[in-house]
Amino acid sequence: MEVIPPAHVRRALRATQLEDIVMTTTVDKAMAWASSNSVWPFGFGLACCAMEMIGMITSARYDVARFGSEVVRATPRQADLIIVSGRVAHKMAEPIRQLYEQMLEPKWVMAMGACSSTAGMFANYAVLQGVDKIIPVDVYVPGCPPRPEAVVEGLLTLQKKIRAGIPPAYRQQQSDA
Amino acid sequence: MATTEPRSGQRAWPKLDVPSPTPSVTVPSSDNPDLLEINLGPNHPSTHGVLRLVVHLDGEIVVGLRNELGYVHTGIEKNIEQKTYWKAITYVPRMDYLSFFSGEVAFCMAVEKLLELEVPRRAEYLRVIFQELTRLHSHLIFLGTGSVDLGGIALLFYCFRDRDYVLDLFEMVTGQRMHPRYGQVGGVAEDIPRGFDRKARQTIAYLRGRIDEYEDLIGQNPIWRGRTIGVGVMPPEYAIRMAQSGPNIRASGIPWDLRTANGGYGAYRELDYQPVVGQNGDVFDRFWVRVQEMRASLDLIEKCLDGLPEGPVIADDRKVVLPPRHELHTSMESLIHHFKIVTEGYRVPPGEVYAPIESARGEFGFYMISDGGPKPWRARLRPPSFVTLSALAALATGHYLADLIAILASIDPVMGDCDR
Amino acid sequence: MPEPIRAISQPTWGDPDLGALERLTAALGEGGVLTHKVDRDELTIVVAPSRWIDAALHLRDAEGYDFLSDVVTADWLDYGGDVAGYWGTEAFGGRDMNRSGSWGNAAVPKPLGDKRFSVSCHLLKLITVGPGEHRRLRIQTWLDDGEPLATLIPVYPSADYHEREAWDMMGIRFAGHPNLVRILLPDYWEGHPHRKDSPVGGEPVQFSDAV
Repeated sequence: MEVIPPAHVRRALRATQLEDIVMTTTVDKAMAWASSNSVWPFGFGLACCAMEMIGMITSARYDVARFGSEVVRATPRQADLIIVSGRVAHKMAEPIRQLYEQMLEPKWVMAMGACSSTAGMFANYAVLQGVDKIIPVDVYVPGCPPRPEAVVEGLLTLQKKIRAGIPPAYRQQQSDA
Repeated sequence: MATTEPRSGQRAWPKLDVPSPTPSVTVPSSDNPDLLEINLGPNHPSTHGVLRLVVHLDGEIVVGLRNELGYVHTGIEKNIEQKTYWKAITYVPRMDYLSFFSGEVAFCMAVEKLLELEVPRRAEYLRVIFQELTRLHSHLIFLGTGSVDLGGIALLFYCFRDRDYVLDLFEMVTGQRMHPRYGQVGGVAEDIPRGFDRKARQTIAYLRGRIDEYEDLIGQNPIWRGRTIGVGVMPPEYAIRMAQSGPNIRASGIPWDLRTANGGYGAYRELDYQPVVGQNGDVFDRFWVRVQEMRASLDLIEKCLDGLPEGPVIADDRKVVLPPRHELHTSMESLIHHFKIVTEGYRVPPGEVYAPIESARGEFGFYMISDGGPKPWRARLRPPSFVTLSALAALATGHYLADLIAILASIDPVMGDCDR
Repeated sequence: MPEPIRAISQPTWGDPDLGALERLTAALGEGGVLTHKVDRDELTIVVAPSRWIDAALHLRDAEGYDFLSDVVTADWLDYGGDVAGYWGTEAFGGRDMNRSGSWGNAAVPKPLGDKRFSVSCHLLKLITVGPGEHRRLRIQTWLDDGEPLATLIPVYPSADYHEREAWDMMGIRFAGHPNLVRILLPDYWEGHPHRKDSPVGGEPVQFSDAV
């Protein structure tokens, strides 16, 4: 009995143009596609925004696993993305910088919420006025606290940024310096 | 009458001394050169927020413990002094961000006490409904993160999924999931919409089934029981000397609950509520008391929904309360009052008050001083987690490191509340 | 029609414990209890700083106030300076139409003490009484800048953290405290932020006057 190959194989056998069956890309684009779909967040929660972040990660309604970010690492050395969720006190600034230094490149930073973007409503002596004063930020997600859907939107924006080939924020700072 | 004697059939309370000279620090007593001093935090998967513990270990046993706080100190109290009362309500839920509505109510009750303002009955009932929803929210997160600390990751997912149903109710009424700024001086901001009653009852019925499952999961699980029963026992004398409140002191057998003390406050005085009391004061009991409190919260919400009175949801005093928005189009006085209240603020008679309520964490109250002006002179929160953490050192010393994590999870600190 | 629930009545304070006030006055003797006030169902007893520990011991042992809720501090520098005064009043320069809240009140609000800082303790009778009889009480003392106060740790051990925070935020020194170091702010911080002459901080924001 004759074996009928599946449809994609039949199409491949019928093809006369190479472009019909082979997709070409650059190594950078392929790497960007892979890394954008596997951005592993670092489990780092400071204050109220952390509750919405944990809700985004664990709750089936918002389900960040479908974007490849399900694997939350407890150590920064294995994480790609640090989501600074919450207000940054001056006392916490040094640990955050240390954690950021411990992450391996390429690494991205999401400033989640108003407090980590610009200190939010806390314009006072105790809060660092924006975490971008100590670490370079890639994506800012406004809100107080932002809904989990908003954080997912931030994650998707980050993925688009990675796929577009834009280097992470520290690379831009290095090139500025 | 509460007693500190052990109940019949229970072994005697272990002796737990308050450490000396510093009550919140235990220092290792031996000169053992093999003692290891490690640093737990401020970023650690098992600390609740940013808490740093400096722990001295003899092998696996904790022989010395010290807390380092302040990693999320936000200076909220200083900011509150700069804003008018109406604007300062926004800062308050961000302190204890798990039982956020309790914070709003505490602030509003302190201001109402200074103003000697009456709150209508419907508003009091609505406040109770949302305080209990907030208690559910806090205890669900406590249970989820607590069980993750002990290694049982499944409960994290279940509890956060159920937390979404509770937050749906907040969103239905206020438009915002967390920190809704729904509590206002004089009552609540808006009335509940049509359909809230039905959706709330559906959520209650659903959550009752879930709590049955949680009780089975943690109540019958031999690993859970082995890790939590008899661990971190807090005797009642120690609890009182270290000023513990909330579920922590109730797990040690003392039926102290501000919702029922001297009759209670607000609508709790009309609802017949019995505090949930534990027996052994160990980690298991602290978890168990909170799970039973979740059940009690559902009963309370149902009672409030059944007996919700008609009427206004905010006090009638237009010098303090914003007028309804539809009046701004037609009434000049309403427009002027709205303008003055929002920009300049209403003036509160001078005085100092302390108005404690029962949040999910314990005694939670504002000490508020007014100078007769539109801004608070001093608004200090009595932070339940701050006081709870001062008791951690003696509770955890002598236990294993893994037990330290369990004890820390069971006393339920929230660093936003602790550091403010 | 049931009457509206009055939020101002906070049952956990209970009736003002004037009996405890009398006995405390008798126990401390001359110059112990300076004044007292019952305001909005709350009893505040002002004692001299030198008798702070004696007052706390009496209340704990003889009166049964076994639970320390809170040790709070307040800075009363320029209290009421913004809100009161009539034209020509010496202290405040009279009414200023451009300063919010500066007109309308008849009298300058007067705090209970005449020094700059107040330290108050909220005490509660918890175990020593039955249900329905819990009472709260506030004892207060007034200090100048730099004047130390004896620590309450021997009487109520839970005062440890509260006193550290008072030192950190207000700069009130507690004599005899075993560990009086900063608790909320980093160790290198200078100043005491909750004082009224300490600025709010933050950074200047474009197009906005208020910080």
